[in-house]
Amino acid sequence: MTAQRRHRVVDSIGVSVLSAVLLVWTLLPIYNIIRVSMQEKEEVLSTSVYPIAPSPHAFSVVFRQAFWLLETFWNQMGNSFFIGVGVALLTLAIGSLTSFTISRMRIRSGWMLTNAALLTYVIPMSFLAIPFYGIMGKYGLTNNPLAVIAVEVTFATPYAIFIFQQYGASIPLELDEAARIDGASPPQIFFRIYLPLMAPALVAIGTYALLLSWNEYLYAFLLLSGGKVVTVPVALGKFLVGDEAPWNYLMAAAIIYAIPPLLIYYGFRRKMSGGLTMGGVKG
Amino acid sequence: MAVTTMIDSPAAATRTAPRARRRGTFGADKLWALAFVTPYVAIFVAFVIYPIGYGLWLGSDPASYRALFSDPVYPRTVVNTLLYLLFGVNLKLLLALLLSGFFMRKGWWTKFLLLVFMLPWAMPALSSYLSINWMLNGQWGLINNLIWQVAQVDGPPWLDNSGFAMGSVIYGHIWKWLPFWTLIFLAGRMAISVELYEAADVDGASRLQKFTHVTVPLMAGMYLVCTMLSTIWALGDFNAVRFISGGGPALSTHVLATLGIRNAFELGDPKLGMATVLTALPLLIPLVILLMRQLRRSEVTI
Amino acid sequence: MKLISRRQALGGVGAAVAAGTGLMPRRAKAAGELTVWWTQGFYKAENDAVIAWMADWEKRNNAKVNLTIMNGPDVITKLIAGMQVGDVPDVVHTVTGDRFLVPRAAWNDQLEDVSEVVESQKAEFTETALISARLYNAKQKKYSYYGVPTKGSSLMNSVWLPLLEEAGFAATDMPGTQDKFYDFFQTVQDKLRSKGKRIFGLGYSMAAKEADAGNLFHQFLVSYGGVGIVTPDGKLNIDDPAVRQAATTTLERLTTPFKKGYVPPGAINWGDVDNNNAFFARQIVMTPNATISIAAAQMDKPDLYYKEIITRGIPMGNDGKPVASVLAISPTIIPKGSKNVDAAKALLRDFIQPANMNAYLKETRARYLPVMASIVKNDPYWTDPKDPHRQVAVDMGLTKPTVPWWMSYNPAYSAVLSEQIWPQAEANITQRNMTPEQATEEAAKRIKQLFEQYQK
Repeated sequence: MTAQRRHRVVDSIGVSVLSAVLLVWTLLPIYNIIRVSMQEKEEVLSTSVYPIAPSPHAFSVVFRQAFWLLETFWNQMGNSFFIGVGVALLTLAIGSLTSFTISRMRIRSGWMLTNAALLTYVIPMSFLAIPFYGIMGKYGLTNNPLAVIAVEVTFATPYAIFIFQQYGASIPLELDEAARIDGASPPQIFFRIYLPLMAPALVAIGTYALLLSWNEYLYAFLLLSGGKVVTVPVALGKFLVGDEAPWNYLMAAAIIYAIPPLLIYYGFRRKMSGGLTMGGVKG
Repeated sequence: MAVTTMIDSPAAATRTAPRARRRGTFGADKLWALAFVTPYVAIFVAFVIYPIGYGLWLGSDPASYRALFSDPVYPRTVVNTLLYLLFGVNLKLLLALLLSGFFMRKGWWTKFLLLVFMLPWAMPALSSYLSINWMLNGQWGLINNLIWQVAQVDGPPWLDNSGFAMGSVIYGHIWKWLPFWTLIFLAGRMAISVELYEAADVDGASRLQKFTHVTVPLMAGMYLVCTMLSTIWALGDFNAVRFISGGGPALSTHVLATLGIRNAFELGDPKLGMATVLTALPLLIPLVILLMRQLRRSEVTI
Repeated sequence: MKLISRRQALGGVGAAVAAGTGLMPRRAKAAGELTVWWTQGFYKAENDAVIAWMADWEKRNNAKVNLTIMNGPDVITKLIAGMQVGDVPDVVHTVTGDRFLVPRAAWNDQLEDVSEVVESQKAEFTETALISARLYNAKQKKYSYYGVPTKGSSLMNSVWLPLLEEAGFAATDMPGTQDKFYDFFQTVQDKLRSKGKRIFGLGYSMAAKEADAGNLFHQFLVSYGGVGIVTPDGKLNIDDPAVRQAATTTLERLTTPFKKGYVPPGAINWGDVDNNNAFFARQIVMTPNATISIAAAQMDKPDLYYKEIITRGIPMGNDGKPVASVLAISPTIIPKGSKNVDAAKALLRDFIQPANMNAYLKETRARYLPVMASIVKNDPYWTDPKDPHRQVAVDMGLTKPTVPWWMSYNPAYSAVLSEQIWPQAEANITQRNMTPEQATEEAAKRIKQLFEQYQK
């Protein structure tokens, strides 16, 4: 065997092993959640590895809201959607406007704004839960999804600004100049030049912001109360406090909750390529 | 308007900047600039300055700190937090860097693998962590069931022993966030000009040498920024500990984020809760300053 | 195509925000409108009963009630946060409020004095209920009633009869005294293990979370003579040799079976629901539980409910004398800062009338006990001889001697419970190799520190 062929064989073995490891690593918890969701209550507390008699019973319970902890499941899904989409759109709007102003309009204090944005991260999100609860009360936003949206947007925007700036550095300012010569006003430059060229970054950040708020538990839990207003993670958290633990229903609901972000991520994946770059872009 | 983006290196973009500045901004432009940044400034004042200020005020009572340091759970919590950061962040980013190299390969299999690999990031944290919690359950969990079926022995107490439980939490964190950082590094690698690798090939460099002499130096800045960012985010990670180990067993796997909430709401002392998380400031403030500096630097040189 | 969509997107966001604020009604604090937070029950019927009763009260009194039903920990969390920022509801019905929240809030003058409400039914309430409702207000330097007792719960043991029989025993073989009772289950486990079944004899939680482990510890403490750990006027008595001995014995009696393998190893991490799960999966022969919820959850399976699951009260002391049950009382409170105190008091006065309480408690399927002796006397439901579980619960919680938890004597004991000091002591023995004496000393040190924060 020539050195090159040996190299290739070792290479393909390496790839196979790595692929197998990656697949097992990634899919183990996912297999588990599907497995438990297809089990009957008694089987949940057993030593089985494969579901003995897999049934979609748990899913139908969740769909029909037939369990008392799931009574307002679809309202809660709706709330999660409302908040998720709201966060994504607002983050995109505010983030892109701010980053446009800092990097394209060359205002003198631009760097101050970027640094100030990073100040947001001085105290991590979960550390500010208690102050936020109080403040939302003072703003009159108690039990209002807008409170959760505000919190998420606050923490997603600095990262958005950062990414937009990095990505935007690849768009030559000459385009802005050319448009300015043609008599375009800043909003026109923003909408006609900046945004279209930023498309991959916008899709990436929109997805990031949506996933961020879809993941949120702590703030939804603190800022919202009552079955109809909360989001799905909060509702699922209630399963863990109580007398019976129908894990199959819990997992089924968790799977249903996971489907929208999965669809969105895999749907927009292609448009995102290169959008999350943090230093230059290529293709 | 058809515009092509065929910029190979962003350095070209910065070269055009001085010309633009000479032009200056018109008066009307200044108004637009103001209008455009107003939304963010408003958010910043209402939802960053005020809460941080209120939080600092809540955590300003020395009595809280005295109570905090006398709590037997606190020292353990600090150790846990540091372990979580040390292993959770660094192991994850190292793996991400290496995997990003793997995912650069061409071919449909790599693409398919990447698709599957991204699942943990797209799946909501709660769903994943609950699944992991149940999977690692010492009595009913999938892993120990598997071990029992294969080897007829009881599997390790994944969540019932402090060391294992801390490991499980770190595992959960890495499982969830590895794909995201791999993607970031992948994007970074793709920005590295292929010519550099070709030149190295001409010089007869091995794969390892290409990695250490081309990839690493070029990715160093980004790696540093990612480390700092990930550390900050991991410090605040409440969900992983809460839903995988619950801080147990015997309160031995708490991190500052979860201990803060426990102090605020289980002990009923919001001031103590705030004080708990504020003890992370000596770590956070230098990190953020470093991050700001590094970002300033990278804006000019990359 | 991109340009239009962005503009539309921005416009859409604006519209959504506007619609959002319109769609979500602000919590109207109209004059006279009562905001009531109620702890979610375990059965739909329970919640429905509360909703129906509130609706009825609204009609009878021409008032408006804004009722939110949340689960237990949520109520406590939101109340704590609310009290911090001064935004509180008018009435809060808690289930575990007596443990962490209410005594401390009373101490800090954060609750309205509800003496008028309690006095209106004073003759009805049992003595233990009254003692637990009477709390000390450090700001005003006086004892008064700050919580309205609504229901009670105490510890009981659930046992699987079929497993006993498999080991060759009958229900009557269960000993009646403390040590012999718990040792018995070790024998049962040995017999079942010799038949190849991987079952544990003793299924009690030892986790430093939630309430189960703490409940069992304190009941044992009373059985071994440690009831005087806090005196009724709030002094800590942990250096009393009898109390020390009781604590050390309790720790030893709870941890030794664990070390010998008679308690499931996962028990150091069990939430309150996990012993129920283990019991239903027949992994454990017996489990202590704070209510008859284990049996009640199987009410729809008559074989299980009437024959296979046995409920036993706490055993008698080693000296053959009856042991008092530690009775937890769920308080309903009016936080300070409520703007409708009079209306709140009127609502509560109405709710605690024996007939109303009875109707409500029956919906809990006797998971929670009345705190009024007359209810049990007047309604045969509670002493139904056909129900093997209810009778035990009523006995333990009402008829036989009871003692209140110690938080009502001094809120420092709430901190002892929230910090899970005694379950941590158990963990020190099982995980960190301390002896029971060392663990007791560690616990005592921390408890003394906590009591120092609550000097009158």
